[in-house]
Amino acid sequence: MKLLRLGLWLLRRERASGEWRVLLLALVIGVGSVSTTGFLGDRFKRAMRDEGARFLGADLLVTSPRPVESWPAHRLIQSEALEFASMVSHGDTFQLTTVRAIDASYPARGTVKIAAQPFTPGTPSRALPPPGAVYVDQELLPLLGAQVGAQVQLGAAAFRIAGVVTEEPGQLGGVFGLAPRVFLRADEVAATRVLEPGSRVTYLYQFGGPPAALAAFTAALKPRLAPTQRLVGAREGIESLRGAFANTDRYIQLAALVSLLLAVAAIAIAAHRHALRHYDQAGLLRCMGATSGDLRTLYLIQLGTIGLVGSLAGIALGALLQTVLAHLLLPAAVARLPALGPAPLAAGVASGFVALAGASMPALLRLAQVPPLRVLRRDLPPLSGSAWASAGMSLVLLLGLTAWYAGEPKLVAIFVGALTGLALLLALLAQLALGLGRLVQRMSYGPLRFGLAQLLRHRFDSTLQLAAFTLALFLIALLALIRSDLVDGWRQQVPADAPNHFLVNIAPHQQQDVAAFLTRHHLAASELYPMVRGRLTTKNGQAIETTLPPEQTDASTLRRELNLSHTVTLPANNRIIAGQWFGDRRGAEISVETGMAERLGLALGDELGFAVGDQTLHATITSLRSVRWDSMQPNFFVIFAAGPLDDLPASYLAGVRIPDDATGVLPEFVRSFPGVTVLALDKLIAQVGTVFNQIIGAVQLLLGFLLAAGMAVVVATLLASLDARQQEAVLLRTLGAQRAYLAKGLLSEFVVLGLLAGLLAAASAEIAMALIAERLFDLPVKLHPWLWLALPAAGAALVGISGWLTTRHIVRVPPMQSIRALA
Amino acid sequence: MTPPDIPRFPDGAVVSARALSQRVTTADGELTILSDVDLAVAPGETLAITGASGSGKSTLLGLLAGLDRPSAGEIVLLGARLTDLDEDARARLRAGRVGFVFQSFQLLPALSALENILLPLELAGRRDARARAADWLARVGLAERASHTPRQLSGGEQQRVAIARAFATDPQIVFADEPTGNLDVDTGARIIDLLFELNARAGTTLVLVTHDDALASRCARRLHLAAGRVADRVPA
Repeated sequence: MKLLRLGLWLLRRERASGEWRVLLLALVIGVGSVSTTGFLGDRFKRAMRDEGARFLGADLLVTSPRPVESWPAHRLIQSEALEFASMVSHGDTFQLTTVRAIDASYPARGTVKIAAQPFTPGTPSRALPPPGAVYVDQELLPLLGAQVGAQVQLGAAAFRIAGVVTEEPGQLGGVFGLAPRVFLRADEVAATRVLEPGSRVTYLYQFGGPPAALAAFTAALKPRLAPTQRLVGAREGIESLRGAFANTDRYIQLAALVSLLLAVAAIAIAAHRHALRHYDQAGLLRCMGATSGDLRTLYLIQLGTIGLVGSLAGIALGALLQTVLAHLLLPAAVARLPALGPAPLAAGVASGFVALAGASMPALLRLAQVPPLRVLRRDLPPLSGSAWASAGMSLVLLLGLTAWYAGEPKLVAIFVGALTGLALLLALLAQLALGLGRLVQRMSYGPLRFGLAQLLRHRFDSTLQLAAFTLALFLIALLALIRSDLVDGWRQQVPADAPNHFLVNIAPHQQQDVAAFLTRHHLAASELYPMVRGRLTTKNGQAIETTLPPEQTDASTLRRELNLSHTVTLPANNRIIAGQWFGDRRGAEISVETGMAERLGLALGDELGFAVGDQTLHATITSLRSVRWDSMQPNFFVIFAAGPLDDLPASYLAGVRIPDDATGVLPEFVRSFPGVTVLALDKLIAQVGTVFNQIIGAVQLLLGFLLAAGMAVVVATLLASLDARQQEAVLLRTLGAQRAYLAKGLLSEFVVLGLLAGLLAAASAEIAMALIAERLFDLPVKLHPWLWLALPAAGAALVGISGWLTTRHIVRVPPMQSIRALA
Repeated sequence: MTPPDIPRFPDGAVVSARALSQRVTTADGELTILSDVDLAVAPGETLAITGASGSGKSTLLGLLAGLDRPSAGEIVLLGARLTDLDEDARARLRAGRVGFVFQSFQLLPALSALENILLPLELAGRRDARARAADWLARVGLAERASHTPRQLSGGEQQRVAIARAFATDPQIVFADEPTGNLDVDTGARIIDLLFELNARAGTTLVLVTHDDALASRCARRLHLAAGRVADRVPA
């Protein structure tokens, strides 16, 4: 109690004298940035999930070949639909369609747009058609030669076409080879009499609701699923966004981690200075009868108070900023999000404490080890006893915190390893750079010469400062680079001329006519890829199911038919990861997508068997490919070399870009090639674009925080050297140095430090980026020449300005006053 | 003021040392700072330890006050054998019962004059801490400067605050290390007057280190050190 009062009293007194300000500031910035990124990251993930749900039409989708009789207890929105293939006729024209029979709650998430005329924009409506009516895909009308309002026959019943579906969630479920869709009321299926026992029907169950309820439902449902039933989450709902989701998640994690590490560095430096400045106080208190235990308690109380105040202020800042950011970036998502709960609050306070404890414990605990004899002999340092133990403990705490934030062990390992290596390398480089400085110093004169001399005189301190500045600049640069590379990457993935329509089911004899049509209308199109549908059945002669771990035996890749293609040219968005592309070699060779290979445990040299119709094809894996699913180009899991698929019945697929103003082209195409299905991707591309823009906006704002954390490191480092600088400046002024001379000397010292730090940071960032880009973000490696100019300039400006602001009073205060202050 | 748990000093001395030696190991080998020092200081007595720079005065003071451990010999402070006590036990022994005055004042810069005096009282958990501190500040003639920080005080004023701080807890013994070393002659003389006046009034034992003959002559006894050994005792 006595110590609590004393600790808080001393803390209050020192607050007035600004002692704790840097420590507190570093903590507020640290906790503020991690909680902003944390809150924002959380909201972003939810927003992403929402986007996914909009594509899927649900948060969760269960497909089953049989009706599901019972579900685990839940309070989710549920919609049931069944899907089957059936002929639809209009007059003498027949067309195979996919009928989706839906209930009133369809879709569980997202909206359906219905238009009165084909190829006109639709308005959001209920998906359930009126009784006696159907909604149809707009592609169906030209195929049947029918108009909206016409009667069509479906089995034993006749229906009126009440409108066309222009947009619907879930339209990309299993896109290729699907016949045009007809939406029917589920209660009118019986009237059609098309379903017999044994008919092939897929039951679709959509669920929507809050994340916790979904998670509980998923957990309860998974063990009950039969091998033929499939569970799809919103995040898996759309493959084309998967890469962007993963990268954004990673980036947000990384940004949080980096701002946290910068804050930790600032706290550690500030705490070290604080401890140094309190050795006398600690010695005096010991002299007055305080035991080392008393001191430990005293300083822990002070630290705890700072931790609490700093963390709460940081959280408040974080909550405020993330609210502002969320409103700016994700206005639509905000309304759906719950208020900040106690969990992120507790997490913020906890991380603040752990960061503070980890970063400042060694320094502050040393205070308890200050010998009382220091009051007589001021040169006595604290006893070293437990310094290593507390430093070790700090390291464990900080690693734990890092791991907690990063969530991914790989990320932590890469980061911690890289930072340790970097710290050593920087110390070495800084020494070298200072050696160069000596050369420059010999050739310079006046204040610059003096400034450089100052740098070189305090070689150890200068090395530390240089390393700290470089680290801060490096981390900021790295995140900025990743950001711009990610953004470029995303932009390149959906270039302006990306296909916005897929032409599916092109018959072999139509190939040339379709190509001619596209040329006539000056439409940019991809290669025409042949597609043969087949099922993967064996691996090296064994049934594929028997070669898999139990959790993979229900892999969707096994149950659904794959679109097998063959081509001699490696598609543009594919990259060979292992083995060799077969090119124009003929034979039983295949190239497999790496994700599929990983899931199914496939390796180079494995021989796979595919059931295609009544035949079985065998081919050996000779290469593994990475595929950019978000490229909006036709992509395939399995590509064959020329040969095996040649004689099999194939249909062809092409991606084509139809300009927005070419409104007449699509109806003409559909009329000219009634059998070809046209899939519109333009809405999807627009949505993907929106998502990317939101991500880019958020990512840019995260950089602002990193900059603040970096500044905290710079300021903390400068303040740590303030006492020594002040002492020297006083001495020099007493010896006759003029103010302007000293000021210029200090400024040139800082500018040179900043310049060197910028150069070192540019080199480190290039190396690190080359390592990270490929492994973590799947981005191409490239050089960034502007970095070599921007970083040294930024470093000189940043360190120069903050150095000047922190130390300017040194040269302004009369020497006498300074001497007294130092006495 | 003696707490009940410590008996009245068996040998009649507030602090005593027997065959005290202090040696340190340096790069050039072992260095003897103090050798074979014997002394005893009775309650209320004033003792000056004098000697040239490097004669071991401050080292002896530090050892007597329990701030350091001797290489050999025995010290009894306030009835407790310091050699039997660890660092923390020695600190507990000092709390509230030993006062210090330093050459460099050792005031905490963030605290005001009043608060600097308050510090040992708070540490000792005294209930009347604030009133006592104000009283002591008045006794050293600085009542008007209560809220001033050390930076706003002259050297003499700072040392007066330090003296008030040393006496504020009613210690049984005050150790002073060159209390006038940083002051001019006039100020030093006034500080010496104050120190002895307060000491006489409180009946405190005073052990001070100085190379100032004027100051040493004010003490009842004097112990002169040369090269770490007792060279002279006055009275013998």
